[in-house]
Amino acid sequence: MLSRHAESFFWLSRNVERAETVARVLDVTYTRSMDLHTGGTWEQRSWRAALAIGMLGAAPSAAPAPADATAANVLERCVFDKDNPSSIRASIAIARTNAIGLRAELSSEVWEHINQLHLDVQEQSGSSVAERGPSRFLRVVRDRCQAIAGVSDATLPHVDGWNFMQLGRFVERASLASRILATAASFDDPWPEWQRLLEMCCASFPFARAATHLQSPPDAAAFILFNPTFPRSVNFCANRIDAALHRLSQSPDRAYTDGAEKLAGRLCAAVTFADAADIVADGLHPFVRAVLTALDSLVGSIQNVYFPRVPIAVAPLNRTDALAG
Amino acid sequence: MLELVQRPVVDDVFDEFFADPTTPRANYARLAVTLAAVETDTLVNGVRAINAALLRRGVTFTVYAESSGTERIFPFDPIPRIFSHREWRRMAAGVEQRVRALNAFLHDVYHDGRILREGRIPRELVHSSDLFVREMIGVRVPNDVYIHVSGIDLIHDDQGTPRVLEDNVRTPSGISYVLENRDVLKRTFPRLFDGYRIEPVDDYPLRLLRTLQEAAPHGAREPNVVVLTPGVYNSAYYEHAVLARSMGVPLAEGRDLLVVDNRVFLKTTAGLERVDVIYRRIDDDFIDPLYFRPDSALGIVGFMNAYRAGNVGLANAIGTGIADDKALYRFVPAMIRFYLGEEPLLENVETLDCSDPVTRRHVLAHLEQLVVKRTNGSGGYGMLIGPASTAAEREDFARRIEATPRTFIAQPVIQLSSHPTLVDGQLSPRRIDLRPFALYGKRVDVPPAALTRVALRKGSLVVNSSQGGGSKDTWVLAAEDDDA
Repeated sequence: MLSRHAESFFWLSRNVERAETVARVLDVTYTRSMDLHTGGTWEQRSWRAALAIGMLGAAPSAAPAPADATAANVLERCVFDKDNPSSIRASIAIARTNAIGLRAELSSEVWEHINQLHLDVQEQSGSSVAERGPSRFLRVVRDRCQAIAGVSDATLPHVDGWNFMQLGRFVERASLASRILATAASFDDPWPEWQRLLEMCCASFPFARAATHLQSPPDAAAFILFNPTFPRSVNFCANRIDAALHRLSQSPDRAYTDGAEKLAGRLCAAVTFADAADIVADGLHPFVRAVLTALDSLVGSIQNVYFPRVPIAVAPLNRTDALAG
Repeated sequence: MLELVQRPVVDDVFDEFFADPTTPRANYARLAVTLAAVETDTLVNGVRAINAALLRRGVTFTVYAESSGTERIFPFDPIPRIFSHREWRRMAAGVEQRVRALNAFLHDVYHDGRILREGRIPRELVHSSDLFVREMIGVRVPNDVYIHVSGIDLIHDDQGTPRVLEDNVRTPSGISYVLENRDVLKRTFPRLFDGYRIEPVDDYPLRLLRTLQEAAPHGAREPNVVVLTPGVYNSAYYEHAVLARSMGVPLAEGRDLLVVDNRVFLKTTAGLERVDVIYRRIDDDFIDPLYFRPDSALGIVGFMNAYRAGNVGLANAIGTGIADDKALYRFVPAMIRFYLGEEPLLENVETLDCSDPVTRRHVLAHLEQLVVKRTNGSGGYGMLIGPASTAAEREDFARRIEATPRTFIAQPVIQLSSHPTLVDGQLSPRRIDLRPFALYGKRVDVPPAALTRVALRKGSLVVNSSQGGGSKDTWVLAAEDDDA
């Protein structure tokens, strides 16, 4: 497939995944702040944490994060701000721009879901959303993003384009799960704080079921990082990335033929052969930082292998050549 | 209920639906019965749903004059236009004849120039055109076919006689609306189809693909076809995407293609992949910055070398614009006689050439009764409709005509035929035209898939999408169902 199309598939699904997660993070923060699970000092902290996730990648030139992390401020920046590339509106607009470039590649179902979501989000404003409470809107965004992912899986042939969508989705999901963990101050945070993080990762019930006897912060972190069957864990994402890269390169299992595969393999190993004791010993933040660095290098490598930025050199053309040919 | 009595705009306008104020023509008799039983609200709500669906589906075009990137739908009218099989066959034969003659003309002007030598067309007129591409002189194209895809705009005059209003043999658009209109009409108003058997339109992409494959250089087996688009900001991008998607071929931009050793390649995730045929929806001027506009970022560097070397097929060929230069339009009947030895099956519209001093004086004196068009224009941009113009607009055009007379022609105002159209909850007559598409691979094929455009503004004669036009589904009845 065209390199340009491959890149568009990657960014399309990355941005849909981002919009979905940012919507969930904001919704969890909002609903939990309403009954003040852990008291007033934590409320500012949790909005600040939401802001950290919802303002990823904002250009240094963009307006700085608001000093006063109130619900209204954070929602405005993370939902509607066009200058914040991680805002829900911006992520969906980016996904749609990529989808327009893929009009000839996408199923009409995928395209129409993205286009309709974009048109609907454009119509909304801070006041229209605040009026009914942000949860309602954030849930619509989340549901529709999930619908896009589901319809993509159900209508697109599972070949090149779909594989690049898998890469985008799982890179973004692993990255955001790591960043959500990074908002914890330490394993000494009170348990409701950790419940909030689990909920942001859709992990409350899966964790409760998997760990009926272990409800400690390191176990929660380990669940989000290492669980091999929970579809939002970093481990699960890393294995999906590895599989998609192998399908693309058609190299056999356990053969690592290009830079992207090697980096994905290394990340898989890092989250397969570590456990809760390791993150307690090494510290949560160093471990999460290492995962994020690995994901960054991996994206750079995918880019080099499949959609290189470097222009391919062309020999100077002589206009008379053609006539001789 | 809909009021079905005809309301003529002007007395001397031919109405497609009604033979007289109360009697529908034979083709429309059944439709009139169906419509009489439909609640107005059903139609109005249906159209509202269709227009919302078109927006959701992104069936939009871009209006260039407005602030950048205005996406608009091409409004859809639910009352279909119906051709009997016989009527369609006659028109299609005329279109086929015209395309063959225009193609022969292109081959001639880029090779021997017989028609110029024999004085049937002034040499000066051809060589002064900025649509004549010197780089194409002496270049052989596969099968000698230049015009693989064309759209010949037809109108019915006040007698109901079909006439050619203009030929579009560069990169005509509109076929996506034909496909879309049929689809939405079927889904929204299935009852309208009761009692009719009509030719399908949805095999157009397959017919186009066959045509393009036949445009491959000799020796290419299972030729690789791509659609070349200027990109997502182009007014017809949606159509480029639909055609690529339904033909199952890549939709490429110039930056996705690379010329190496006079061969064209696609940049794919698996390396470079050879391209045999390009269906380009980008103008000549932009296709290769080495030959044409050096500032074009949309084209393919070195493309012309590959093309002239015969290593890649291009639809349409470079330089076809000279055949739809409006200053040459009045010579098309002569081309038909000269190249084919046949009498023209379709009539032209009387056309005045502003480069002739005597004619020019006449035109300038009668601007208020004439339509003035740029000879290289299309899309309804930059024309003057005399009777609807202001004195200031006429002065402006007079100045421009004096400055560059070669670039203008004038035509009498043609009373386009009218057709009942849903406006503000009732049926009102609105002016329409017709764009059938002709495909030319090894022979000319005119699929029964034509676009009817309608001027939605009352009294307006301009049907272009950029100028407040809409469109209708266009039916060609199956052979045995004539006069259903």
